Amino acid sequence: MIEYLLLAPILTSILCFLTKTRKQVETVSVIGSIATLALGLVLVNNVFKYGTIVTWQNALFADAFSAFIVLIVSIVGFVASFYSVGYMGHEFDHNIFDIRKLKMYYSLFHIFMFTMLLVGVTNNLGLWIAIEMTTLVSALLMILYSRKSSVEAAWKYMIICTVGITFALFGTILTYYAAVKVLGETGDALNWTSLIAVADRFDPTIMKLAFIFILIGYGTKAGLAPMHTWLPDAHSEAPTPVSALLSGVLLNCAMYGIIRFYTIATKSTGHEFTSNLIIIFGLLSLGIAVPFIILQEDYKRLLAYSSVEHMGIVALGIGFGGVYGIFGAILHMFNHAMTKSLMFFGAGNVLLKYETKEIDKVSGIVKTMPVTGTMLIIGGLAITGSPPFSIFLSEFTILAAGFLQGRYVSSVLFLLFLIMIFAGFFNNISKMVFGTPKPGITKGEVSRWTLAAMSILIVFVIVLGFYIPPFFYDMIMKVVEVVR
Amino acid sequence: MSEIILGSKMVQLIIALILVSTFLILGSTRLYSCVRAFGIQSFLLACVAGIVAYSTGKNDIYIVAVLTLVIKAAVIPYIFIYIIREIKVKREIELYVNVSPSLIIGGVLVVISYYLIRSINIISELSSFALSASMSLVSIGLFVMISRKKAIMQMLGILIMENGLFLGAISLTYGMPLLVELGIFFDVLIGVLIMGILIFRINRTFESIDTDMLKTLIG
Repeated sequence: MIEYLLLAPILTSILCFLTKTRKQVETVSVIGSIATLALGLVLVNNVFKYGTIVTWQNALFADAFSAFIVLIVSIVGFVASFYSVGYMGHEFDHNIFDIRKLKMYYSLFHIFMFTMLLVGVTNNLGLWIAIEMTTLVSALLMILYSRKSSVEAAWKYMIICTVGITFALFGTILTYYAAVKVLGETGDALNWTSLIAVADRFDPTIMKLAFIFILIGYGTKAGLAPMHTWLPDAHSEAPTPVSALLSGVLLNCAMYGIIRFYTIATKSTGHEFTSNLIIIFGLLSLGIAVPFIILQEDYKRLLAYSSVEHMGIVALGIGFGGVYGIFGAILHMFNHAMTKSLMFFGAGNVLLKYETKEIDKVSGIVKTMPVTGTMLIIGGLAITGSPPFSIFLSEFTILAAGFLQGRYVSSVLFLLFLIMIFAGFFNNISKMVFGTPKPGITKGEVSRWTLAAMSILIVFVIVLGFYIPPFFYDMIMKVVEVVR
Repeated sequence: MSEIILGSKMVQLIIALILVSTFLILGSTRLYSCVRAFGIQSFLLACVAGIVAYSTGKNDIYIVAVLTLVIKAAVIPYIFIYIIREIKVKREIELYVNVSPSLIIGGVLVVISYYLIRSINIISELSSFALSASMSLVSIGLFVMISRKKAIMQMLGILIMENGLFLGAISLTYGMPLLVELGIFFDVLIGVLIMGILIFRINRTFESIDTDMLKTLIG
């Protein structure tokens, strides 16, 4: 089952490379992503019905948490491939991309999907390898535009994330050392399935050191402050559908790595140490995002800093702990993925129409592109955590968890940062959406494909705000059981 | 156990030589000598892995030793030399920190690493020698990345860090499980290739590979 899921994006990528025309490559890509989504959903269904799946001599596995990551990756990937048809098609029509680059884009896109799925279903602490691969592939996607700024962003991204991930490797080696002392030298000593059973017998000193390295390492990739410096550059310079994947999905994949290690480390070091560390990084991310969101001049960077903020919120949820905290964090990962992708897609439409990334030069989106404009308002309200949208629910759960656990100072700071970010973010968005458009900008949406992609996402954003379907609730509760 | 093997004079000597090769990189202002020193370092690392494999009799580690020799001591230095030739980069490295302070800082980093590892106090006397060397390599790699102007030296810095971790893994646990080791080799190789592509692209876009140029995206 898992093999088929991994095979689908690879096959799609190869086929994309073999096609000749734009129409062919787009058809292959869309069909491929539908297949990936279908297989992903089947996997998720199987995991929640029959429990953990382990195949390929224990190398691949899927428990509730992996399935949850697979779900996020395949939904956003599916939507992004729809959006790509509209967005990249526009670039192709305007001779910014030739057919060679278009093919390259779609091939890399599906390999990128493969690496992110691999992060979710690797049984091994060698998760590291998959996360490093995501960096390599997405750096290539970033330099498809040969602008100076894209090249700079890609280089920074590559260097900072590779160094970060090197630290994570050191943490992984230390964990393996702790595991070997208990389990002996078997090839299995890095597998979740065997680690989790004996994690409470690991040497706490080693695990403390390991967890610090892991948190800094994967934290770099997850965009936690102060290691986030590459993130606004990379997320704003990548092609828009890729920005959505980077912000919505890839950050979650890195967070997944942290949370997995958190579970293991907590069993050995106790709750206090790991929680405090995660809460510090979470609050720092929120705090650093505040001034950059309020004073931002570039709307794609605005969204990128908002991602730093939301990863901080997920970290806080995990740090607060308890059923509420972890439930909130997991739900927030999903909600953020959907909402942030929606916002990036909207921003992409604006970029194609106005041909600038500066907030001050964009106005009157509701008048020029009514549908995109409306969705941007809804998305903007949702991403800043206003009711009745999905993110409000998860943020509120996390906040409640903070107070329940007696973490009053952190919770109050959290609330304060949220209010400031709400004001700053919404101020910037409303400047763009309302007002009168500059003369010379024609009315009309960019492409129906991009709107189709956005309307799928907006359903999640609105519905999950006031109704969590029972099966989805069960699913998250199962993930919470895995994490705790 | 690991203490016996790593304690053997042979391995200690080689690890000391690995540190020397790292200082060769710090002390040189010529790109070719840096790449050569890196090649020597990787070769010595392969020797350590070979000795560990011989004394434990594990086939897995032999494979790792051979891969280190082929990929890190031959293929990667070759890629470096290819890049240097193709983009006709000036052979002198420009430094933010000069050679003599660099060497002193390197020495300080080694001392700090040594005391850090000893203070953790979880590892026996002898393998702590290898681990502190590994820590030194990681920190010196980081220092090379921030103190040299050329993008190509940042790439070299990352590889020095990676070598340091390899030494750490070998000295702590005889390396990772084979599947993981293979994955890491794969990632390092692909990583070097992609960084090479990026360096070509930087050179074409900015007509230089000085990282001074890459400072426009802020705020």
